[in-house]
Amino acid sequence: MDWSYYNDLFGNGWNIEKMKKLFLFTPLILVIMITVFCLVFLLQGKDPSKPPSALLYKNLPEFNMIGLFDDSDVISNKDLNGNIMLINFFASWCAPCKAEHPLFFEIKKNYPNILLIGINYKDKQEEAINYLNTMGNPYDYVGVDNKGIIGLELGVFGLPETFIVNSKGIIMYKHLGPLTKKIITNEVTPFIQ
Amino acid sequence: MISLIGFIGLILSFVCNVIVIGLYYFKINQRFNQIFYLVLYCSLFFICLSFFALMFAYISSDFSNFNVFQNSHSSKPLLYKITGTWGNHEGSMLLWLLIMSLYNVFFSFNTTLKEPMQKLTIVFQSFLYLCFSLFVILTSNPFLVNSIDINEGLGLNPILQDPALAIHPPILYTGYVGFSLILSLALAGLILNKLDNLWIHALKRWAMFCWLMLTGGIALGSYWAYYELGWGGWWFWDPVENISLMPWIAGLALVHSLMITQQEQLLKRWIVFLSILCFSLSILGTFLVRSGILTSVHSFATDSSRGIFILILFLVITGFSFILFILKSPQSNKQLNLLFINKTSALVINNIVMLIACITVLLGTIYPIIVEVLTNQRISVGAPYYNSTVLPILLPGFLIMSIAPVLSWQSNKLVKVKNYIYILIVTSILAVLITYLTKFNIWGFIGTILGLWIIAASLLSIVHNYLKYKLKKFFIYNNALIAHIGVGIMIMGITFSSIFQIQNNFTIQTNETINSGQYSLQLNNLQITEKNNFQELLGIFLLYKKNELLTTIKSGKRYYYVSKMITTEAGIYHDWFQDFYLVLGDEKNNKWSITIYHNPLVSFIWIGVIIMIFSGMVGILKK
Repeated sequence: MDWSYYNDLFGNGWNIEKMKKLFLFTPLILVIMITVFCLVFLLQGKDPSKPPSALLYKNLPEFNMIGLFDDSDVISNKDLNGNIMLINFFASWCAPCKAEHPLFFEIKKNYPNILLIGINYKDKQEEAINYLNTMGNPYDYVGVDNKGIIGLELGVFGLPETFIVNSKGIIMYKHLGPLTKKIITNEVTPFIQ
Repeated sequence: MISLIGFIGLILSFVCNVIVIGLYYFKINQRFNQIFYLVLYCSLFFICLSFFALMFAYISSDFSNFNVFQNSHSSKPLLYKITGTWGNHEGSMLLWLLIMSLYNVFFSFNTTLKEPMQKLTIVFQSFLYLCFSLFVILTSNPFLVNSIDINEGLGLNPILQDPALAIHPPILYTGYVGFSLILSLALAGLILNKLDNLWIHALKRWAMFCWLMLTGGIALGSYWAYYELGWGGWWFWDPVENISLMPWIAGLALVHSLMITQQEQLLKRWIVFLSILCFSLSILGTFLVRSGILTSVHSFATDSSRGIFILILFLVITGFSFILFILKSPQSNKQLNLLFINKTSALVINNIVMLIACITVLLGTIYPIIVEVLTNQRISVGAPYYNSTVLPILLPGFLIMSIAPVLSWQSNKLVKVKNYIYILIVTSILAVLITYLTKFNIWGFIGTILGLWIIAASLLSIVHNYLKYKLKKFFIYNNALIAHIGVGIMIMGITFSSIFQIQNNFTIQTNETINSGQYSLQLNNLQITEKNNFQELLGIFLLYKKNELLTTIKSGKRYYYVSKMITTEAGIYHDWFQDFYLVLGDEKNNKWSITIYHNPLVSFIWIGVIIMIFSGMVGILKK
């Protein structure tokens, strides 16, 4: 077989030494690429906990959910309108959810008038119940979204995710990732007071 | 007042390092040498002053210092007041500077290197110090004065109030920041173009030390996560864990490559690359965590100006190093002795495996950023990605580890291969038996057999060495093998504890007994104790095995008054072969819900780590 064609294609200058030289540049190129991406990310003022959401300041989409503890207990979010709602997506397999979980008791204690709704996302019912039994259940209502349909509707990216809906049914705030005390005092409280 | 002293110390230490670099550059004084070192020691003195000033502010609960006000409380126990110094972003950066300076001074006591090389390394280290102290002074000053007059602080996050976590940051940083010295050494070697035996020898010791400290730090951190978070596991692929894992893997590759050069004096280019890579990954990791660009369970207070500052530092330091690497890259005049299969090629293959694993972790960590910049979409990369990519990548590495002991350095011949094959067969049968007795799982089988092979092959080699040399220089011949036994034990621990973990949930009343297999658990009573800064609820459980009392397990939770947070205090019964891990949940109608994890062989992980660290220490100390 005649290999000269390939030689012509790549140029005769491609020898091992040149390849080696080129390899030396890879780390530098990688460093520059990483820097550029991170810089763009920072300069766009993106905050990982505030993902772009098309739904912010819009009406909460309509959905029905089945109760976690009782299958026959079906509820639509329309029935809940008129209350300030905090909707939290959680699952027993989600480690950061466990971290933020105790904070909901505090929200519940300090702001008894808001409705805490937990939506169990892509989880097994039995494990979710165990989870709430072990960690405690701060929610007024726990709905099931084992197929992720409600999550899709609301644009859930990853767990945990928290939405705040005002009494007119408009999504006022969305947080991705575990809540912390600081976030609650600085960002969440203005919406639920 | 104390804050002012601390800040002045910080500034003076910055100035001292400027002088060190200036003295080297201008070479003005006749007594250049003495002054050079004197100024270097002064810089350490001033950063110590600064660090202890902050610590004093914490101990004396001086809330006129903003940093103390934000992170401390007067009712905290003394230990956590002290460790609170580095339990926050600003304080930990001060610790970072202290460690950099300590490395610089200790390195100046190193007499094995020729003077130009030693001085240039010190100058590079001083330069790195300048970069980071500028960062601290401009964006993360721990000595800001509190604008309001207040006599109580906001308190330290209760989950950080733990003995293991108190010493975890200093040890981790000793490794993580110590890589700066490795970078300095590599840069000095490149510029002077003298990558000789002395240089390799010095690099090896310091790299080994840093890597060991990092190993210890990571192990402490994951041990803390194991018993404090109460989630039953010890590794969560959290971004903070990943960013300490990346330099760890790079350091592992570096330490191993230095072994090859000890035998053959080759691969210098690769070693310089790894030396630069270690600290580059450290800086990148610091950027990712401190800029708040990644959401993590361990969150630091974030601020985008900090992020941009560290990013620029990353670009400048890493960019400069890699450009120097391209320009002055050492030429290897000898071809590498790569045969079909010998120790050198095994080590090279393992190096490649480790680098790929490192890049995989890096990719998983920064992938969400790239995707969001390009498509404005948010994705999250979690444990499933890492488990299904990193673990398979590591398998060939483990396989090579198990055959490495019979390979020779110089030839294709295998050493005493017959015994080796016998022992492989025996351990394989053993692995099959173990798998047969437990629930079958393909990963469980692979992990078991690889772990056993590594342990058996290393043990066999130790026996061979013993027959050949008796006890003479036992550690010199067997040190690496001992470390590998540690790895084998750790693999067994990781495999069993992650694959054969059993989780059970129960509800239990006082004096009720639950049976599970041959074990039974009884809730004896519940105690509430009041401490200075928290209230603790403890459930006293009695664990029986075949009606014989095995142990009492205390599991409970704490309520911290200041931060109004509840922490779980998992009760753990350690056995050599298994852990009973008990988490107390909530109460409903006098019934407590509890979660019991049965974690087999979890202690093997820590035993393996201890063996690795021990053998590393021997490696540093041996001549």
